[in-house]
Amino acid sequence: MGCDIVTVSTDTQFMHLAWQREEKDLADVRYSMAADTTGALAKTFGVYLDDAGLALRGTFLINPEGTLMHAEVDFLNMGRNIDELMRKFKANLYLAKKTDEGCPSKWKAEGDQTLAPSPEMVGRVHEALRK
Amino acid sequence: MRELQVGMSVPDFTLTTFEAESCNFGEVSLARQKEEGRWTCLFFYPADFTFV
Repeated sequence: MGCDIVTVSTDTQFMHLAWQREEKDLADVRYSMAADTTGALAKTFGVYLDDAGLALRGTFLINPEGTLMHAEVDFLNMGRNIDELMRKFKANLYLAKKTDEGCPSKWKAEGDQTLAPSPEMVGRVHEALRK
Repeated sequence: MRELQVGMSVPDFTLTTFEAESCNFGEVSLARQKEEGRWTCLFFYPADFTFV
């Protein structure tokens, strides 16, 4: 979908290699596993835990211009769900092409209804979503 | 530096990577992603050998 996934932790690339080899659930990994050993990148994104030297479960989407388009942070014990992420990724990719539209909360994929804000729609979102 | 917020420009970064597909070490750089016109998803997690 034109998006490169990069996983990031404060482990080294050697640890990433060992983990990927050992863990059966990672056998099909195609993404890059990045080593942020100083925590510098985690600090940039505000997910570095000083006391632990670890990163919180932050998910960030950056567009091809280098602009941060989506940011979400979960606590250490909260696993992320790919379906939850994909909706937001797809919506961001769609909105990058259709900058005058908005994706409503129920938007799931291209073809679903979007909203184009206008004076007529003020106070009439209910009607606009049921056209 | 001002706290990074959605809508702001992400400062360039370069990190060493492990590329499972080629079983090699590599590099990811935001500058290169921008040159190639690609989206980047950064997926932070606390440590290897934990669940993601």
